Amino acid sequence: MMSGNVSSENKNKLKAKLNWNWFLIAVILIEILIFGVTNPKFLNVSSMFRSMNDFVPIGIIGIFVTLVMITGGIDIQAGSIVGLTSIIIGVAWQDWGLNIWAAVALAVVIAILCGILTGFFIAYCGVQAMVATLGGSFLYAGLALMVSTMSNTPSYMGITNFPDAFRAMTKFKIGKISPGPAIVFLIVAVIMGIVLHKTKYGRKIFLVGVNPNAGSFSGINTKRVVLSTYVLSAIGAAIAGIVLTSYYNIAKSDLGSTFTMNIITVVVLGGTLSTGGKGNVLGTVLATIIIGLIKFGLPLCFGINAQYLDAPIGILLVVVLLGRALMVHPAFVNYRAKCKSRRQKAAA
Amino acid sequence: MNSLRTLLKKREMTSFFFLILLFAVVGCINPAFLAVSNIAACFNSSVVFVIISVGMAFTIMVGEIDVSVGSCLGMTAVVVGSMICNGASWAVAFAVGILIGIIVGCINGFGVAIMKAPSLIFTLGVNGILRGLMFIYTNGADVNNIPKSFKDISAKALPGIKITYYFIAALILTIIIHLLLTKTRKGRYVKAVGDNADGAKLVGIDPVKTKFLSYIICAVMASIAGILFCSRIGIVTTSSGNGYEMTAVAACVLGGISLTGGVGSVIGSAIGAVIMSSISYLLVFMGFSSNYNDAITGSILIVIVVVDSVMQIRSRLKLRHERLQARTRDDMVTEGENA
Amino acid sequence: MENNNKPGADNLLQVCDIYKSFGDNAVLKGMTLSLKAGEVLSLIGGNGAGKSTLMKIIMGIYTHDSGKVYVDGKEMTAGKTTEALSSGVYMVPQEPLLFPNMSVEENILIGFTRPQAELHKELVDTMKSIGWNLELNRKANTLSIAEQQLVELLRGLLRHAKILILDEPTSALTFKEVESLFKVIKDLKAQGIGIIYITHRLDEVFEISTDVGIMRDGRITLMGKIEEFTKAALVKGLLPDTTDQQEVVSKTDVDYTKAPVLELQNFSGYGFKDISLKVYPGEILGVAGVVGAGRTEMAQTIFGMDKVLGGKVYLDGQDITGLSTQKVMKAGLNYVSEDRHADGIFKISSVAYNITSGILGESFMGKVFLDTKKEKELTQQYIDDFRIKVTGQDQELGSLSGGNQQKVVIGHALATGPKLIILDEPTRGIDAGARTDVYNIIKGLSKKGLAVLLISSDMEEIIELSDRAVTIHQGRLNCEFARSEINQENLTSASFGVVGKEKE
Repeated sequence: MMSGNVSSENKNKLKAKLNWNWFLIAVILIEILIFGVTNPKFLNVSSMFRSMNDFVPIGIIGIFVTLVMITGGIDIQAGSIVGLTSIIIGVAWQDWGLNIWAAVALAVVIAILCGILTGFFIAYCGVQAMVATLGGSFLYAGLALMVSTMSNTPSYMGITNFPDAFRAMTKFKIGKISPGPAIVFLIVAVIMGIVLHKTKYGRKIFLVGVNPNAGSFSGINTKRVVLSTYVLSAIGAAIAGIVLTSYYNIAKSDLGSTFTMNIITVVVLGGTLSTGGKGNVLGTVLATIIIGLIKFGLPLCFGINAQYLDAPIGILLVVVLLGRALMVHPAFVNYRAKCKSRRQKAAA
Repeated sequence: MNSLRTLLKKREMTSFFFLILLFAVVGCINPAFLAVSNIAACFNSSVVFVIISVGMAFTIMVGEIDVSVGSCLGMTAVVVGSMICNGASWAVAFAVGILIGIIVGCINGFGVAIMKAPSLIFTLGVNGILRGLMFIYTNGADVNNIPKSFKDISAKALPGIKITYYFIAALILTIIIHLLLTKTRKGRYVKAVGDNADGAKLVGIDPVKTKFLSYIICAVMASIAGILFCSRIGIVTTSSGNGYEMTAVAACVLGGISLTGGVGSVIGSAIGAVIMSSISYLLVFMGFSSNYNDAITGSILIVIVVVDSVMQIRSRLKLRHERLQARTRDDMVTEGENA
Repeated sequence: MENNNKPGADNLLQVCDIYKSFGDNAVLKGMTLSLKAGEVLSLIGGNGAGKSTLMKIIMGIYTHDSGKVYVDGKEMTAGKTTEALSSGVYMVPQEPLLFPNMSVEENILIGFTRPQAELHKELVDTMKSIGWNLELNRKANTLSIAEQQLVELLRGLLRHAKILILDEPTSALTFKEVESLFKVIKDLKAQGIGIIYITHRLDEVFEISTDVGIMRDGRITLMGKIEEFTKAALVKGLLPDTTDQQEVVSKTDVDYTKAPVLELQNFSGYGFKDISLKVYPGEILGVAGVVGAGRTEMAQTIFGMDKVLGGKVYLDGQDITGLSTQKVMKAGLNYVSEDRHADGIFKISSVAYNITSGILGESFMGKVFLDTKKEKELTQQYIDDFRIKVTGQDQELGSLSGGNQQKVVIGHALATGPKLIILDEPTRGIDAGARTDVYNIIKGLSKKGLAVLLISSDMEEIIELSDRAVTIHQGRLNCEFARSEINQENLTSASFGVVGKEKE
């Protein structure tokens, strides 16, 4: 039995897996420390939640896009589906007279159809994910805009005054904080985490991402698995759209139009390889918290205008990528090995 | 005759015919469109996209991608625009603009070519950085005092056909670049690296150098596009150039460039750029409100890409089956009869 | 054993004391060899011995850690491919590295500084003189592997290399093409070109080499003129010193009165036609033939990967013709692909993931949630039974040796509990020790009553393992041999279409 014999290689792998998430947790703690010391208002939980609630929908989508990227694909249309979902809820309820929950159901169904359409082209027609979802992002944003013109309310204004029951879904308070969106985020994270890491379906997603050919030879229906990830991603976008519409009490067709870069950032920052085969939900969750805290902390503690924030987040992404690239760069790996052998020789 | 047939078979011709088809269809629906001024306007309005797409074509053909071009364009436009507003000499302003492109290209080249970080995500990060820098540079304000003399150049056109000198220059530039890429020894390296980077190393091509140069060219083209943008639009806002990278990718794909690299030409990407920018113009003439722009653009892109993809898969499968069938033909002479 | 330590002035190529490690993995440990003009040096050695790595260092694709490379007395800068090329070194790689979207001609002529017209004429003349017919305008991604290898060889010829390195050049070629290649090699030898020839095929070594060198563990262990060696001596030199007494399992007799497990009736598909055969429980049926005969196509069509054009397939009486891969696997047939890298392994996944990848649909692995305990048990079982060398179930498959990877792949196919397993080139690219292990595994299968369809281009493998053998020639089954009739001559002639059995 191999039990007690955990060699150094195994330990390294285990370290690598845990390392990244521990690193992310460390970053969160450092952020809280730095921001908290600079401006104690940062530690006010209710305002922290208020700011996080803004960003958390991106994290919700990010969890599902994690699955997509593990299969080696990418999804840049999720942002458009958010807007589509939102405006359908608004128009269906306000102008077509549907019951609010029926409107929500309709929006989810349409989102699923969007996911099936694009996913079909990617999985069954061999279209590259980047291009297919690029087209989808145009198409679904355009559809959202067209839907908004079917309303009495002009598009730029957005539809509001949703029924209390709908708003209460996310707008309830526990003490002083409104944890609605964050709770949805957590529930989604737990469910999808279990699905990805504990179910057979989740295992198939990893295998398809590592080697789709070998997956086919193993009897896995790779096309169906890939298609399903895009459907899930669309559902994630729909959930985000519902949450945002409920929380802010407004339905707008361009909701989510700026989300794409942030979604990809949280997924990649969370440890998912863009080449596929590796990734985890917890990482995406932690990365979402990291960026959410940045978006809250920098304006509050350092007076940085919220619109400038793309820069530090971009820098964070670039630094993480360079760091990772360095770790696996052949020249660097060789250099480290040489240092190690030199050290071993000196010790001997 | 043979060379004419091979020319017609090229993917670029298909894109070109598609463009003509679009014009024809719109012309049928609304004959008012078929005036010289309208058709010329379609081409003229595409100048910025043509330049940025030609640059993008480099990075895609070499097997990577650069989604920072939109904000590189914006950054250049903002800096050049404000420099000219404040009275700087045009030559100096343009030089600074090009320099911005070179710097961005070097950063991208360093990350992707040298450090081998994944290109989509790395350039996405750079895109964010540039976007933030734009805000910081302008303090959130627009650049809107651009001197009329600068703006007027964009309107100067060839009499009669009414095509602007900008577009003609863009066209000539595209053709020159195309010839460089296809006829010179080093030019062919770009597509070779995109086709098979390991194979390229074997025959003495340096993928790192080639990719690095491609990123510089791409960013410089984006900067040139930014200067043209300044001149044409006349106002630069903090969101100028937002999303242009996606349009450039779409233009390249429409023009026959494959995201896997090694396939396509800058001519194709230029034609694709004309198609992309004409769509909104054409829709107006067809009586559609501008609300339909994105939906129709997205649909066209998806349809073309799906058809392309399905046809490619079908033909590859057919070829494979033909090859295999040939091995079992009854009338085949038996190989290797022992001596 | 000859070892040239000083850079001999008359040596075309001199490699001195090369060390190369990839991270922790030391691949070359003091490589020294020399090549004179007109010599053909065959390099043989197991996988991981470092042959390809050394060649890539000579070509400047890799940078060595220490040591020197001299071409024609001049020291080469490490890692500069352009310098290697201009000094007259060219390597024809083991796996063709062509540009798929360029034409054959563009592929061959890229990188040259001479005028295209002149090169074109030379290319046409060269092809005519060798007798290779390739359409110059065909896109490289339509070429078969054999044709791709020919294009790579043409590249080397047109470069007028002084030192030509051929890394397993015949692995995909037909008999005729191999003959013409050998003629070219003889011509080049006469012209004073130095050739390094890497191969696994000992017969080739004796046919064309002047010198032979055995590489093991990153250095040359045996080297000399070809006349000094016999085949047996070479084989002995290849095996590790520790005489690991590998137990060789004996074969059992097959009961032919039972009903066949697999029956093909006039089975036709893309690449093969009208194949009828039977496989009995516990039998190993060898399927011989040259590369491209259609055996893999037949196997993959049975497995549901391509369209059936005619005929029937019965597994234990059940009609499985044209069923999807999943259904075929459920019915009890599994297939191990010939291309381990592309189709068989999940490289960055763990050993456990790989073993269970085929049985994820089964209910004993859990309903919705994956039964990780079952997974651990199953994986451990295969690790123990097959003697797979791993540091743990979590080890990434890519870090295993080729032989161990193959064992994992076979284990993954067996995990589905098939009645018959099709093995396609199961020992390609694995070293001698692992090969014996795999042979034992295969024989063990037939002992347990499993039937095996063994597709192999290695005649010795077919001879050693098969109870019966068939040959496929140009897509058709042209010969069937009983155990006593299975020998090199019969198999080879039948593979090339010369039908006429001779008793041993």
